[in-house]
Amino acid sequence: MIQVEHLTKTYAGFTAVDDVSFTCRPGTVTGFLGPNGAGKSTTMRIMAGLTIASSGKATVSGVSYRDIPNPGTQVGVLLDASAQHAGRTGREVLTLGQKTMGLPASRVDEMLELVSLTDKESRRRVRNYSLGMRQRLGIAHALLGDPKILILDEPANGLDPAGIHWMRSLLREYANRGGTVLLSSHLLHEIQIIADEIIVIGNGRIVAQGTKEELLRGDGTFVRAGDNAALATALQNAGVAATASGEGLGVEASPEKVGQVAAAAGVALVELRQADGAGLEEMFLQLTAPTQRDQTTRGVPA
Amino acid sequence: MSTASTPTTPVTIDTDRPTVPLTRLVGVELRKSLDTRAGRWFSISILALCAIVMLILAFLVVPGNQDFSFFLSAMGGTLGYFLPIIAIMLVTSEWSQRTALVTFSLEPRRSRVVTAKLAAGLILSVGVLLLSMVLAAIGAGLASGVRGVDVSWSVDGRELFTFFVTNIIVVLIGFAFAMLLMNTPAAIVAYFVYSLVLPIVVGIVGVLIEWFGDLAPWIEFNTAQTPLFTGDGSPTGEQWAQIVTSGTIWLVLPLTLGIIRLLRAEVK
Repeated sequence: MIQVEHLTKTYAGFTAVDDVSFTCRPGTVTGFLGPNGAGKSTTMRIMAGLTIASSGKATVSGVSYRDIPNPGTQVGVLLDASAQHAGRTGREVLTLGQKTMGLPASRVDEMLELVSLTDKESRRRVRNYSLGMRQRLGIAHALLGDPKILILDEPANGLDPAGIHWMRSLLREYANRGGTVLLSSHLLHEIQIIADEIIVIGNGRIVAQGTKEELLRGDGTFVRAGDNAALATALQNAGVAATASGEGLGVEASPEKVGQVAAAAGVALVELRQADGAGLEEMFLQLTAPTQRDQTTRGVPA
Repeated sequence: MSTASTPTTPVTIDTDRPTVPLTRLVGVELRKSLDTRAGRWFSISILALCAIVMLILAFLVVPGNQDFSFFLSAMGGTLGYFLPIIAIMLVTSEWSQRTALVTFSLEPRRSRVVTAKLAAGLILSVGVLLLSMVLAAIGAGLASGVRGVDVSWSVDGRELFTFFVTNIIVVLIGFAFAMLLMNTPAAIVAYFVYSLVLPIVVGIVGVLIEWFGDLAPWIEFNTAQTPLFTGDGSPTGEQWAQIVTSGTIWLVLPLTLGIIRLLRAEVK
């Protein structure tokens, strides 16, 4: 269980984390979603006792991270997969962790196997690792001490689609055994694949939180008929607003209601379902917009 | 099997578990200083350099300068330039390679990490010093055995004291600069400014400006230490005061401020 209560961190007038509160429960994978610079990493560093909060607190099962004896065996942390000595081999990185935590040496090989790093790869220097391999090494390091709680900052960054699905099953299994997982990402699609609970953060503040289903569920219905125009007229006559949406119509009513209207009007439907969760994606795009650099420059009148 | 996986027993953090013992931390720090090519070869290189100095002294320097104690002071003098760099890298590589994130998340009580690093730096330095003593013995042996020079093997307590203590002091200064600056090149440059540039500048300015010449031993640690290792090796009261004053400026103060900085720094 991870509890964050009214966490605030300010840097010389700039508020990186602004009154953030949330809880991560055992058995769930919580996704911490937000654009770059939203305050995800700062929050996670505070959790691991590496950054001191300006106010508020973050605790792990009621205990402050700094008060946990041999914390690697209880909380697994991956804050930056690239923060490893480039001149060490992957195996050596794990061995240092294994020796610090006082674990049996066999643990290193077990973890390498778990994250599918081959023996040959483990003897290469981290300098020659791809970002994906560094992430696997980082996950192996976080899991080394068999912790009950995982805090992972951007663990899927640099993984290919197969790697992201691998991580989902790994974390899913971990959570099913009663583990608590918090992972961050700046990509909605990664979080959608991996997490069950989502916390959306922007400019240091939490803007949305809930289960994936709650957040991704859209309002209204998407419907496609053989004759969209006829269906639009029928819906209009029934007093339901409908707008063109892709190859069909977006309707502000339940799928059931839309189906009834279509049946009554005798319009054959091709597709009828709950609308996609445009809400979360739109909110996420709005959050990212101020930091986007590839906006079209508008002409300035002379 | 149920997919609703909320466990029946709440996950708790065990605060009664044993902490990471300091000996284990020291062992890990020692390993870290030798487990990269850079770290390993740096230690090997400075010993190789000592071996070269030893061979030059044994075979090329005019006979009569091949006593064991001469070799010893040559080894000590050579290592004085390089041992602090081992201590510096032990601290600064954590920041340049960003491994501090891992180090401090595995042991959040940073004072213990600092203690372990200091201990590892000192153990490594003493190890290198002992190996260089072996080189000094080989040098004296070669000079007498191969070159046939008459060699004295005697070494008194004060020579050994100088050999170890001067080097331990510079290792501590390197360590202090490293914590204060948290940057490898900056700490190395600062150390060489302290050990090479400062004595010369203070010496020159001291000659030109009389009152500064009187002040110099109070603020320049290199010079102030000299009475410890020369003459009868027992500084006068005033000299002790100079050692304490300049030592505070160059060792105690940087070490204290460095530790404070390291304990408080945000790890990114």
